[in-house]
Amino acid sequence: MIDAIQAATVVAMLAAALASGSLLAPYVVRVLTGSPSRIDRFLDPVERRVYKLIGADPGLTMGWKQYFFAALMLNAAQMAIAFVILVGQGALPLNPQGFPGLNWDLALNTVVSFATNTNLQHYAGETALSYFSQMTAIQFLQFTSAATGICVMAAMVRGFRAGSTHMGNFYVDFVRVLTRLLIPLSLVAAVVLVALGVPQTVGGYVTVKTVEGASQTLLVGPVASLVSIMQIGTNGGGFFGANSAYPFQNPGPATDILQIYLMLLLPTTLVFAFGELVGKKREVLPILIASFGLFAIDLAIAFIPTLPAVGPGIETRFGGFFSTFWTVVTTAVTTGSVNASLSGINPLGILSAFMGMLIQATPGGEGIGVMYMMMYVVLTVFVVGLMTGRTPEYLGMKINARDIKLVMIAFLIHPVIVLVPTLAAYATRAVDAIPGFSSLPTSVGFTQVLYEFASSAANNGSDFFGAAANTPFFNLATAAVIFVGRFAPIAILLALSGSMVGRKRVGQESLRTDSFSFSFVLMGAIILLVVLAFLPFLLLGPLLAYFQGMVNFLG
Amino acid sequence: MGLSSSNSKWKTYRPVVVLSVLSMLVCGLAYPLLVTGISQAAFPYQANGSQAQLGGRSVGSYYIDNGFTLPIFFHARNETNPQTASASGVDPDILLADALSQVPRISNATGIPAASLDGLVMSHEQWTLFVTGDPYVNVLELNLALISAYPSVYSAYG
Repeated sequence: MIDAIQAATVVAMLAAALASGSLLAPYVVRVLTGSPSRIDRFLDPVERRVYKLIGADPGLTMGWKQYFFAALMLNAAQMAIAFVILVGQGALPLNPQGFPGLNWDLALNTVVSFATNTNLQHYAGETALSYFSQMTAIQFLQFTSAATGICVMAAMVRGFRAGSTHMGNFYVDFVRVLTRLLIPLSLVAAVVLVALGVPQTVGGYVTVKTVEGASQTLLVGPVASLVSIMQIGTNGGGFFGANSAYPFQNPGPATDILQIYLMLLLPTTLVFAFGELVGKKREVLPILIASFGLFAIDLAIAFIPTLPAVGPGIETRFGGFFSTFWTVVTTAVTTGSVNASLSGINPLGILSAFMGMLIQATPGGEGIGVMYMMMYVVLTVFVVGLMTGRTPEYLGMKINARDIKLVMIAFLIHPVIVLVPTLAAYATRAVDAIPGFSSLPTSVGFTQVLYEFASSAANNGSDFFGAAANTPFFNLATAAVIFVGRFAPIAILLALSGSMVGRKRVGQESLRTDSFSFSFVLMGAIILLVVLAFLPFLLLGPLLAYFQGMVNFLG
Repeated sequence: MGLSSSNSKWKTYRPVVVLSVLSMLVCGLAYPLLVTGISQAAFPYQANGSQAQLGGRSVGSYYIDNGFTLPIFFHARNETNPQTASASGVDPDILLADALSQVPRISNATGIPAASLDGLVMSHEQWTLFVTGDPYVNVLELNLALISAYPSVYSAYG
């Protein structure tokens, strides 16, 4: 249990995120709709030059297929650039530590992981990546993957908007999200992080003699610029293997609170932006209630156990409370950064982390959270329609059989790509290649493998293994899961939205989706669907580990 | 014919090729280097790792465990009990109670009265929630305070 001050801290942080999200949302809407803004004077000429340089007609509008393939092709080209940089870093500049290039399977895993906003890391940055790679492969993809997520969300919402005729223009969305949102926000946050103690230099590691005279190397580098976009963009991949548990990435309580805030900022903003983007402001209500209601439930579960002041895997300056709070937040918005070792978190905290990654919409990753929530809304409308014997409708549009097939496929991809590879890892004995795995209790080991694939599929990126999973099986299996987990649902949900373009609207809705009662039905439906799909596996993993821990504690 | 088809292909793929390179240059080079320039100008101390000075030279960072092992100094977690190793392995802080538990050892080794050491520890107390939460101390900060408060005892380190 947490005390009153800790509870007040959680409430204050959520209130701050909600307040900032509602304030920032109108601006984000202007970015995504191209409405006039005061900064047009400075940015319009810049963006016009960019469109001219890249040869894109900003007036061109795209259907869902064009939009999706533009996004996919751009992401693929960006992956190719980053892959070449990672493999060839030994011959590239800004490599003061002289790190050699990565093996192809690790490089592939890394670029797929970062281009999809996942940031699963099978390497420790401080001993594997040059400054150049940290900047031009890692930070680069952290920007573009976050921007891509926001773009595809905007496209999906446009399809659902009454009177819509197209999905927008991917290149325009992509450029504007970068120039008007992600780059300015990250720049300011990075400088604040430096002021609070996060290093930012390209001068190389510093070797000093400690007070007692031993030699010590300080692993400084361009850390703050990475940390800001990694949290703002819900990426989560750190400069260091220990991520935000490493003091240079997160020196104290102030940077810890700031990073939790930055993780929550844009996912919350995009929930608020949804209403205006879809043209019906009140439709925010069910999405807001369901996403933050489920988030609150996850927090409550994680805070049931007694949290230690400090313990194995917990940093002193954060303690058990902030480590657990962070773990729930980082999975609720599928960022995947950590400020503790997951092995130091109570199994109930890990259960909450699973819920965040399995639902993916509490409020979920950049853009993707809103897309998943729209998917759940369509599913719930269908279920409610079956129960009441009415034709399911959303936003005045009839939901037809093809729509339901699409959302069912989008929903079912997730359990398949989490559970099948988890079993394959055991069946092929790939787990035995992980150092120390065989000495773990069965429930703990199973939790860790299930977590690896749940985190990959949800494009979260936090994990128990880290560089220990740098084996061909885990590199290739997680890369495949990450890729499918990112692009398959995006393609299917854009296809769904594409079929909404120009669909006839009925005047009177039989079921109001902007009501409190629907919001709670939606929340219940999400819990039911996810629990039905994953409960046996959660029982064998974190829940079993929790009760075994209690038995050990008692006996 | 061949020329026009390759032209139209280039027209389709040009945005993808040029935008991927451009976004790498802006997000991967211009942005981090701009942050580096601003940080080095405005916050050079923090930007270079918040390094502690002793006798005119850098002896490490306040944020990284300095690896004290001698009995006359306070020790970090990794030195006192590897069983409770932190996530980073370089945790620079210890709980206030851990610091106080080391006072008798330091007092024995140096002859400094335990009460004075307790007072020194208490005066460097920090909290996980700024003014409340779990109390802890920074080990390097504490040991540097020790060195400056008792120069005769720590004359080898001034």
